[in-house]
Amino acid sequence: MLLIPCPNCGERDEREFSYGGRAIKYPDLNALASIQAWHEVLHLRDNSTEVIRESWYHHSGCECWIEITRNLMTHEFES
Amino acid sequence: MKYSGFSLLKNAFSGHRKWPNIVANSELKSSYDIVIVGAGGHGLATAHYLAKKHGVNNVLVIDSGWIGGGNTGRNTTIVRSDYLLSASFELKNFALQLWKSLSQELNFNLMYSPRGYVDLAHSDGELEHFLLRANAMRLGGADAEILSPEEIAAMIPGINLSDDTRYPVSGALYQADGGVVRHDAVAWGFARSASSAGIDIVQNCPVSGFSIENNKITGVTTAQGKVACGKVLVSTAGASSHLAGMAGFALPIEMINVQAFVSEPVKPVLDTVVNYNAGLSYLSQTDKGELVMGGSTDGYASFAKRGSFARIEDTLARAIQMFPFISNLRLMRHWSGTADIPMDGNAIVGHTPVENLFFNCGWGYAGFKATPAVGWAMAELLTTDLMPELLRPFSLQRFETGALIDDVGIGPYPWLH
Amino acid sequence: MQQRRLEFGGRINRSEPIYFSFNSQHLVGYAGDTLASALLANNINLVSRSIKYHRPRGIISAGLEEPSALVACADAHGVFIPNLKATEVRLKNGLVARSQNCWPSLTFDFGAVLQIGSAILTAGFYYKTFMWPRQWWHRVYEKLIRRIAGQGRITYDADSKRYDKRNINCDTLVIGSGPRGLRAAISAAESGAEVILVEQDQEFGGSALWEKRPIDSTPVDEWLDEKLSRLKQYSNCRSMINTLAFGQYDHGLILAVEQNPGNVEAIYWRIRAKKIVLETGATERPLVFANNDRPGIMLAASVRQYINRYAVKPGTRAFIAITDVDERQITEDALQQAGITVAGSLSEGEKIITTRGWQCLRRVQLVDKQGVEKSLNCDLMCVSNGWTPNAHLSAHLGDKQAFTSSPGESSNLQQHLSGRGKAFVDLQNDVTREDLELAVREGYDQIELAKRYTATGMGTDQGKTSWTNAIVELARISGKDANAIGLTSFRPPYSPVSFGALVGADTGAQMTAVRRTPFHRIFSESGCVFQTSGDWLYSRYFSNDSNETMDQAIRREVLAVRNGVGCVDMSTLAKVDVKGRDALEFLSRVYCNNLDSLKPGRLRYVLMLREDGILYDDGTVTRLDDSHFLVTMTTANAARSWQWINKMSQLQWPDLDVQLTSVTDHWASLAIAGPESRKLLAELRPDFDIDKDSLPFASVRQGMLDKEIPCRVFTVSFSGELSYEINVPAGFASRLFSRVLESGSPYGITPYGLETLDVLRIEKGHISVGTEIDGRTTPADLELGKMVSGKKGFIGSSLLQRPALKLHDRPQLVGLKPADGKTPIPPAALLTAAPWQAGKIQSSIGKLTAAVESPTLGHSIALALLNNGHQRMNEKLWAVSPLNNQSVEVIVGPNCCYDIEGSRLHG
Repeated sequence: MLLIPCPNCGERDEREFSYGGRAIKYPDLNALASIQAWHEVLHLRDNSTEVIRESWYHHSGCECWIEITRNLMTHEFES
Repeated sequence: MKYSGFSLLKNAFSGHRKWPNIVANSELKSSYDIVIVGAGGHGLATAHYLAKKHGVNNVLVIDSGWIGGGNTGRNTTIVRSDYLLSASFELKNFALQLWKSLSQELNFNLMYSPRGYVDLAHSDGELEHFLLRANAMRLGGADAEILSPEEIAAMIPGINLSDDTRYPVSGALYQADGGVVRHDAVAWGFARSASSAGIDIVQNCPVSGFSIENNKITGVTTAQGKVACGKVLVSTAGASSHLAGMAGFALPIEMINVQAFVSEPVKPVLDTVVNYNAGLSYLSQTDKGELVMGGSTDGYASFAKRGSFARIEDTLARAIQMFPFISNLRLMRHWSGTADIPMDGNAIVGHTPVENLFFNCGWGYAGFKATPAVGWAMAELLTTDLMPELLRPFSLQRFETGALIDDVGIGPYPWLH
Repeated sequence: MQQRRLEFGGRINRSEPIYFSFNSQHLVGYAGDTLASALLANNINLVSRSIKYHRPRGIISAGLEEPSALVACADAHGVFIPNLKATEVRLKNGLVARSQNCWPSLTFDFGAVLQIGSAILTAGFYYKTFMWPRQWWHRVYEKLIRRIAGQGRITYDADSKRYDKRNINCDTLVIGSGPRGLRAAISAAESGAEVILVEQDQEFGGSALWEKRPIDSTPVDEWLDEKLSRLKQYSNCRSMINTLAFGQYDHGLILAVEQNPGNVEAIYWRIRAKKIVLETGATERPLVFANNDRPGIMLAASVRQYINRYAVKPGTRAFIAITDVDERQITEDALQQAGITVAGSLSEGEKIITTRGWQCLRRVQLVDKQGVEKSLNCDLMCVSNGWTPNAHLSAHLGDKQAFTSSPGESSNLQQHLSGRGKAFVDLQNDVTREDLELAVREGYDQIELAKRYTATGMGTDQGKTSWTNAIVELARISGKDANAIGLTSFRPPYSPVSFGALVGADTGAQMTAVRRTPFHRIFSESGCVFQTSGDWLYSRYFSNDSNETMDQAIRREVLAVRNGVGCVDMSTLAKVDVKGRDALEFLSRVYCNNLDSLKPGRLRYVLMLREDGILYDDGTVTRLDDSHFLVTMTTANAARSWQWINKMSQLQWPDLDVQLTSVTDHWASLAIAGPESRKLLAELRPDFDIDKDSLPFASVRQGMLDKEIPCRVFTVSFSGELSYEINVPAGFASRLFSRVLESGSPYGITPYGLETLDVLRIEKGHISVGTEIDGRTTPADLELGKMVSGKKGFIGSSLLQRPALKLHDRPQLVGLKPADGKTPIPPAALLTAAPWQAGKIQSSIGKLTAAVESPTLGHSIALALLNNGHQRMNEKLWAVSPLNNQSVEVIVGPNCCYDIEGSRLHG
């Protein structure tokens, strides 16, 4: 059970959160970005790196979405 | 040496000193026709069918660890084919047909036990979905039935079908020839067969890179040196993205931890495989007597092969809701595996952007049951260069074209699959 | 009489006798005993039968490492709990214990015939046989093996014990209360830190409870008393006995189970510690030699523990086989003090050939350096092959461990004679040295392979006494270094923990919270039959007449809505209040519809896509004023959708000025539907005009009903009838419902539920999440392509353009009716070109998403996703249900089969 550092609430148990996956930035919607651009952002994952930026929703806390950096091997959070 | 009751008896007289090594000790050769990275069930099954069905044995199977040490040795051993989408159904149902005679084919008892798979529905609406799935299975030639609560009660002693539970049971989908297969034996049986056909199996030897010329693979760099080869199949589950990175492309896959756990061994109390659907919890009893249970994935990315205990608490709560008596038992061991879950939750098998480099990955938590069918079809692809119908839907391109195979309709959120 | 109890000493309380029974034999022990020490005190050492060969087995150890002495004990409700280690069971009055894995009795066990076949029953023998005839594995052999395997027996009785769960934080958690653990806890407490000390034993002190050597030049008992009284002085130190820390998890989490804390059976503790100190000690290793499993052969330190702590003589005449010289000495001292004769001690160069005895140890046979054999009588053997640290908890987080010196080399008592009996490496799973030799020979030479092939270390003792010996043996057999064999993965829990404790009260009806709508109470007084639907208890149908079946009730409800007026609870729909300068822009990005033309006071049916262009949810957007909207989303997706739009607003487009507020629980929502619904609404005396032109379809009004109930009325319809969705603050739910029933009675007001809602929407061809919106369909697949704006970008707009999503042969939504106009279409059927034939494999071209008997139309109708369906109008196909052996010919038509022009909406 992870202890997730919420910037609003401090370190809280993972059961208070739901996961939102990788922190991805959408291509500009109104520019009608290409299929390829969306495919790369939405689907492709460079799993060769162990440290990822990801999003969590603190449903049983501040109800905020947060983005944090975590090592997938050690589960340690980095700032 | 052939395995049989008779040879067991004969060997007893010589103190069992004459049994050969199932994996002949192999020195790495300088060149192979085909290199298979990953000595799990899928990789070894491919090797077996390459040798036995296509007569190709200049093949290397190489692994950073020991045979069957990844998800093959970590899953909950369930085999079934109760899928609605035809791509998923066809492959898994073909696998189920292969499981039925694989012990005899490999001369290794894989303990295929068609003890029946029972998938519980918790509302009439859910039961209607199951009915649809069962109809699709029947139409496709598989075994499927719908059980009433009374029939469930008669089949499964100890199950809680009372109305005052949180999610009462309204019926179940039943696949009689679904069941379990001894997972380790699958790796060992395929390894023994491939090895006896002359295929080299090298353990504890990580692959650190690929040689690629003009976008065509020519060799593999290993901890014991470079190996030239014609084709490479990567069949490494949780390490797939890492190897794709070595070959210069990214996969639409995320790695999520999946857990399983067992109770202490007890005398037989459960003869079927049972799946509780209001929040996932599935349960069966091993031949050794342990109750083995699993549930949903941990729900977030991880390479750590260690899980969140919150998931075990949750899976257990549902298991006890289903079988109140197991509350009297104790947790003996829990473990994890890294599930490679693609953006539509279904496997990715076949060609890659690099010529002659093939991937078989993305099986997530559902790969074990498909093992022989994937090996069978993959061997065909590697030798004939023709994409078998069974594998065609599982292409890497489908994420660009939109021809998704999303069995549960969750979408590109692997942690929710 | 406790014939083996010493007259003096020990930590048991002789003034408090404890009565218990073992295999129906009534016995007595003392407070402070374990079941094992009490059995030994009563001169009982034969406790169980081994799993495979049914060999007689006794007590090997005095702790949770015990591989052999497994028993079943009755809980407070008389249910026998299997597989308990006699060395762990605290003795209490009335304890009923019995042996397991033997029949008809422990001393005369038929299972022992398996020893005859033991030459065949080698490790993994089952992989080599039982393959023919093909079906026999499952039908015959497996059944037999399952019956033989499995340790204890469990009944189907539910667990009536109560458990508790608690969370706690601390600065320093010390695990283990031996001398080192006590020192660590005291020094941490001195520094002012919040400290927790956990000890799995029933007393603090660890080895200080039985090792008699002075500590810090102080007699050990005095030392222990002093430390324990000091510990008590610190209010910042919480000390817990009977508490097993069973696993270490991420970020300083230690999970523990406390047994017998008082008013509950056990407490499951989640302990978060900033610092964790492992003082978990070490486990003694037995020696591997022929017939090393006879009752009477015990670990040396355990013998000392029985003597010094429990004042029990585990035997009368002992033989000593201990690697470490110091330990040999203190063991001899302990034996002598207890009056146990030392028959001999294994000296360097000597080897144990075998042991003799029927159901317990009688004699040991040795051979010395010169090859001379001798035989010594003894009923106790104290063995030790050295110690292995209990580092499991540190390994749970993936810390790599290795041998710094080969554990085999430290032993000068290497036993290596064969042919005189089985030499057990793992007593619980009956794994012998020959089994490991076979494993190596066959290529299962790495520890993980050998473990799986032979089952070494996979029992309830988790191999505590066997895994190091197994590695030593594997290294010796294969001629490799111990580190090349590898270390086994230590998997939590450290020792088995109760499922019941881990789940506590969070199961049964309390497993997850139940949500009820504001109408729940008044509905239940109105004949409502509820149904579990996700978190919700939802109204399924209403019936006050016990003779009415559900189908009859549905028919009555449907016809009432079509011909008069009905009312239904819509409160579970997610409602989100959206405000801000950029609210419109925000919603335009989230929904695929064009919303620019939506005027204040009007609402629109909207579709939400995933980023990959697949339809995810439907609902409505109501424009309350220029920058203020109310959005509804489906019940099924409510929680996920709320998170989703927040994610968009907080992470993707934080620059947009938009505030989201979930108002689902603020409003009670009751839809009145049917041709008479306008008249009914008028009876509620709204303070605004409700005629067709003032309140047209797809609009909203705010105001008061009866001058005192604040409301919002939306003209939106799922049924296809003229319909008003009346939202009132949740507290007004009962009043609204009562008023609707009362005012509606002249019009035949009929409350209806989910089932009728479903029939009505199927008649209209309206889509629903989970059936048509199945996570695979696009708006165009469902004939809603016109709703997708081509003028703007929105979530999903790019990937919706992928070629496979535009293919014409995709599954598309159509309506079906029976070709003969009367045969019921079977539910959950598949669509095929030809009727179903048993035994013939057929491919389907579509599947039903819903099928009902339409009371309105008087025949069966269905919705289906049919390949290329939109081009197949009026085609005849077969709806087949192999399960029911049914094939019904159907005609493809539009998904809407009632009031296609939609004129009824306007009343």
